[in-house]
Amino acid sequence: MSLYVDRPSVIHRLDPLTKLCYIAAAVTVPFICPVKSVALLVAAVTYILLAAGRVVTKVLPLLGFVAPVLLSIFIIQGMFMPDNHALVFRIGPLYFYKEGLSYAALLSLRVIGILGAFSLLVLTTKPSDLIQALMEKGLPPEIGYVLNAVLQIIPQMANALQRITDAQRARGLETDGRLLDRIKAFFPLIGPVVMNAFVETKDRAMALEVRAFNSKTKRTFLHVRKKHPADVALRIMCLAAIILAVVWRLVG
Amino acid sequence: MSIIKAEALRYKYPMQDELALDHLSFSIDKGEFIGIIGENGAGKSTLCQALNGLVPHFHKGAYGGTVTVAGKTVHETSVGELSTIVGMVFENPVVQITGAKLTVYEEIAFGLENLGLPRSTIIERVDEAIELLNLAEVRDKSPFALSGGQMQRVAIAGMIAMRPEIMIFDEPTSQLDPQGATEVFEAIETLSRNGVTVLVVSHQMERLARHADRIMLMHGGRLVAFDTPERLFAMDFSGISVRRPVYTEIVRTVQKAGGISAETVPVTLEGAAEWLVKHRG
Amino acid sequence: MIVERKSHSTFDNKKDSHKEKGLETMKTSMWSFKLSTASLVLIPAAVGINYIGKMIAGFLKLPLWLDAIGTVLAAMIGGPVVGALSGAINNIIYGLTLDPISFAYAFTSLFLGLAVGAMAYKGWIENAGKALIVGLVAVLVASVVSTPINIIFWGGQTGNVWGDSLYAALIAHHFPVWLSSFLDEWVVDVPDKIITVFIGYLIFRGLPKTFLQQFDRQNHTDVL
Repeated sequence: MSLYVDRPSVIHRLDPLTKLCYIAAAVTVPFICPVKSVALLVAAVTYILLAAGRVVTKVLPLLGFVAPVLLSIFIIQGMFMPDNHALVFRIGPLYFYKEGLSYAALLSLRVIGILGAFSLLVLTTKPSDLIQALMEKGLPPEIGYVLNAVLQIIPQMANALQRITDAQRARGLETDGRLLDRIKAFFPLIGPVVMNAFVETKDRAMALEVRAFNSKTKRTFLHVRKKHPADVALRIMCLAAIILAVVWRLVG
Repeated sequence: MSIIKAEALRYKYPMQDELALDHLSFSIDKGEFIGIIGENGAGKSTLCQALNGLVPHFHKGAYGGTVTVAGKTVHETSVGELSTIVGMVFENPVVQITGAKLTVYEEIAFGLENLGLPRSTIIERVDEAIELLNLAEVRDKSPFALSGGQMQRVAIAGMIAMRPEIMIFDEPTSQLDPQGATEVFEAIETLSRNGVTVLVVSHQMERLARHADRIMLMHGGRLVAFDTPERLFAMDFSGISVRRPVYTEIVRTVQKAGGISAETVPVTLEGAAEWLVKHRG
Repeated sequence: MIVERKSHSTFDNKKDSHKEKGLETMKTSMWSFKLSTASLVLIPAAVGINYIGKMIAGFLKLPLWLDAIGTVLAAMIGGPVVGALSGAINNIIYGLTLDPISFAYAFTSLFLGLAVGAMAYKGWIENAGKALIVGLVAVLVASVVSTPINIIFWGGQTGNVWGDSLYAALIAHHFPVWLSSFLDEWVVDVPDKIITVFIGYLIFRGLPKTFLQQFDRQNHTDVL
């Protein structure tokens, strides 16, 4: 289970940590320099990189998720922001002001940019590669295990839920109808999934321990991650962007 | 030479009043194939876990006596360290899949990564385990997509790759169909032939009797008998239900009818047939 | 089960020494980061339960998210550290697999697990009345932590129609943004978090004692 899209691109070949550095820069810079032009610039760079990774169309559904919220921000800030003075237009009794719309535009550009930066990581990186990269940099192996295991357990549990739902419906469980009936139906559905998940934990813990899970030795990895020559340069550029933003803020 | 030695081993689970293991003393030689039998709750699983350190390190509770495996005292050695000496395969195939790996190949490598072995060693040992357990066909599949018997063989491969001298199987086939059970028993036999000391808890008496050098009978946390299958299945036990191999039961029925008492009984199909031919009339 | 034997020497077969040896391994703070394997494997289960809770709520068209039941349960069973880890990892995994925005709210989940775990450890889930108070604390924690995130990202909104209507009404009447945003989040969290904690409490009461025992912090090996 992941949003990863397998494509032959430079972005895919970059080290996951480089993409994390990019996220750090793309998130902090628009906040350090809270003006629309910077937010627009960062968003533009991000979407160019997404295009280079050949995944730009995969961001659209994610943007679709946030579109209603962004629209509501334009409406609410445009009409009700306390600083509103300059009327731009009105629709019947609804008055929209420049200050609020401008603020909404800044927020939207930031959100679109940040969403793009995270998408750049998750759409072009296998989760297992990201986790291994973090483990190599010192993430405790236990946490690395948990992250990997979650990615596998969710589809397993979704399957289990499907079986339980079918079985309970066959026994006549009310899953439509009045709210109270539907609330009552919650327990027979979640109960068995919870019990299954927990019953297995003790045995799984033992099975892990007999495979040296608690070993204090430094882990090695079956897979070797390839380094890309551009990685170091890109990380320096991300750092430089953040420093530049701080300087801009202090001077300006 | 003994590779496992228990002296007055006793153990109580947390919040339990009665002993789960009650003064067990025994010794097992390197390369032996040992069967462990007994009713549910007899202490078979607890004994297995007392050999690889899960008792007492994982379960806590109260512990006394000593067990040594390959020279290491179990209660003074961590489960991780013991894992390179004693391998363990559990009953439920699914819980032994770590869940952190995408392919069978990676799954088998998990323990070796934890041990911090060099990559070349990992690859060498995983390849060897895949070969030994006949898993080449599924090596790139998701471990969750396998049959129960295949999963159980992956679990064995994951343990074997850690090169333990002793392998313990705690009811490895009771959740499998007959085909899966055959696959797993064949794998166990292969290991035994390669010199690994093997302990198997199972209710499959015919299979145990055929392969085991000796069989342990447990009851109420105590070791009731520890002998060759031929001698153990010839004994009478009062108050303990012992299911014998069907071939043995046939011979014993004939013996009882004929008023014959014997110190040993045949435990295999061939043995029983031979005995019946010899005692014709 | 966070107890770790400090060295093999704590294990001693002499009966008279076992009392102080036992005591040495007994006191471990609920904030210990040394997690047992049993506690660690609780975390993937917790995240899975969160996901399943959300799916069922959607499937039954309940007007709630119910997407933190696993975090709450893990906190009740394993304590604040396991709760916090379950919460944070939940949002990181959601961010990686479903919705990148979820990363931002990792802090909310983290503090939710932390608060419920700490209260559970202090005995606040002994009965339904106390569990309700834990629910109220959960609402407070979730609202307080989410509000700055909402302000930074969305100018203070939550994306929930009812909450955002309240927010619009409040800022139109010149209430400060932080208060409007807090109340926006608060009205959304009140039913969801109280019910989530209460469902967690009901499931927790139904868990077998033998299961819960393995997470008992006072757990150590005695000498027979």
